[in-house]
Amino acid sequence: MRQLINALLKYKNTLLYSGLLIISLTFLYQRSFFHQSIFSNTALIISSSFKLVGENVFKYMSLNKRNEKLLNENIKLKALELIHFTKQLPENKVIDTFDFQVFGARIIKNSYNNARNYLMIDKGYQDGIEVEMGVISSDGVLGIINQVTANFSSVISILNRDVKINAGFKKNGAYGSLSWKGNHPKRMKLDDVSTLNHVMLGDTIVTGGMSDYFPHGIPIGKVFSFEKPEIEGYYDIEIELFSNLTQKKIVYVLKNKKKFELNQLKNESR
Amino acid sequence: MNRDNLISIFHFIILLFLQSFLLNNINFFGFINPNLYLLFIIVYRLNGNATILIILGFLLGLMLDLLTQGSGGHTIATLTIAFLRQFIIKFSFGVNFEVPLGMIEGSLLSQRLLYLILMILIHHLLLFIVIYFSLDNTLTILKNTLFTSFFTFILIYISLGLFKEKND
Repeated sequence: MRQLINALLKYKNTLLYSGLLIISLTFLYQRSFFHQSIFSNTALIISSSFKLVGENVFKYMSLNKRNEKLLNENIKLKALELIHFTKQLPENKVIDTFDFQVFGARIIKNSYNNARNYLMIDKGYQDGIEVEMGVISSDGVLGIINQVTANFSSVISILNRDVKINAGFKKNGAYGSLSWKGNHPKRMKLDDVSTLNHVMLGDTIVTGGMSDYFPHGIPIGKVFSFEKPEIEGYYDIEIELFSNLTQKKIVYVLKNKKKFELNQLKNESR
Repeated sequence: MNRDNLISIFHFIILLFLQSFLLNNINFFGFINPNLYLLFIIVYRLNGNATILIILGFLLGLMLDLLTQGSGGHTIATLTIAFLRQFIIKFSFGVNFEVPLGMIEGSLLSQRLLYLILMILIHHLLLFIVIYFSLDNTLTILKNTLFTSFFTFILIYISLGLFKEKND
């Protein structure tokens, strides 16, 4: 015991120094966000490298199990793939509950640098395409069919100053009309959204479902910037499109199976 | 409470306020603020109690950091230099330096200079390492250490001369 005390006394300066150093490091950690981030970063690196070693060992031990799991997954995926292919073969097959019939088509001409842009696709009325069908791509809206020949159709791109599409907010359904101002192939304008609605940057814009061309809920883009005018009751919103319309190859044409019914109703209520 | 202790307390307070309210706002060439407060640890009695010096050094740095909204660099640097002082003294003035002198007078000029330069350089190096705390800023750390040490050295050397005259 006496020796212990002697040793403590001998090294009291070093001990005191270490203690105070720890206190000042704590002080540093508390006061400076920069140092805090570096300390926690170092701690993270150390702990993660330890974890990585453990993880690697553990992984190696469980390779057999994993292989089995992957095999099962592959079997499932293969089945899905086969189903998908067999479904694709008859081209116009649709899921029955869906109001829209889907046709696949390939773009043969695309323009995006004019004020009024058109596309051409390689399907015509022989394939069941009609005028005023909506055209979408894998990640957004593309346009509306406006002319049909036997084997080809022309599509008004949404990058056309004459087209207006009904679109709305995914979060609350507030809607407006989407149009292109003709300057940038990824930017569009959303007009007629009432200032009663709350708008945030990055809000997702989807098709509104009030047009006959598109079903509700196809993602179009997100809010890029917006202005709230002082007097008028409508927002001035700029949208950034999700899809890059300048590099599309495959499109899907949507046929509204109940369009006839809808038109009848519209005509009657006039 | 003898006279030495009173002088130490006086030094402590004067240097602390001088440093935090005057010298830290000099910004000579945009980044040079001489750290005169190191004088307190340098002129502390060479044979004085090392434990008390460590505590005092810690307090000095801590107060300076609190007064100047520093991040904690002064605390660590001053604490460390207070701890290292005994080794630096032994290194500069020889292993058998046991002469109970209050000041550094009575030793060779080269020994005194070595002592001063070591104290100042180590302190500044630590200070800037803690302040920048990243390998990317190695050059900045070295540059700051060198220039600030130089100006601190000049100030401390002048102040040592002043102390000497007073004591005579």
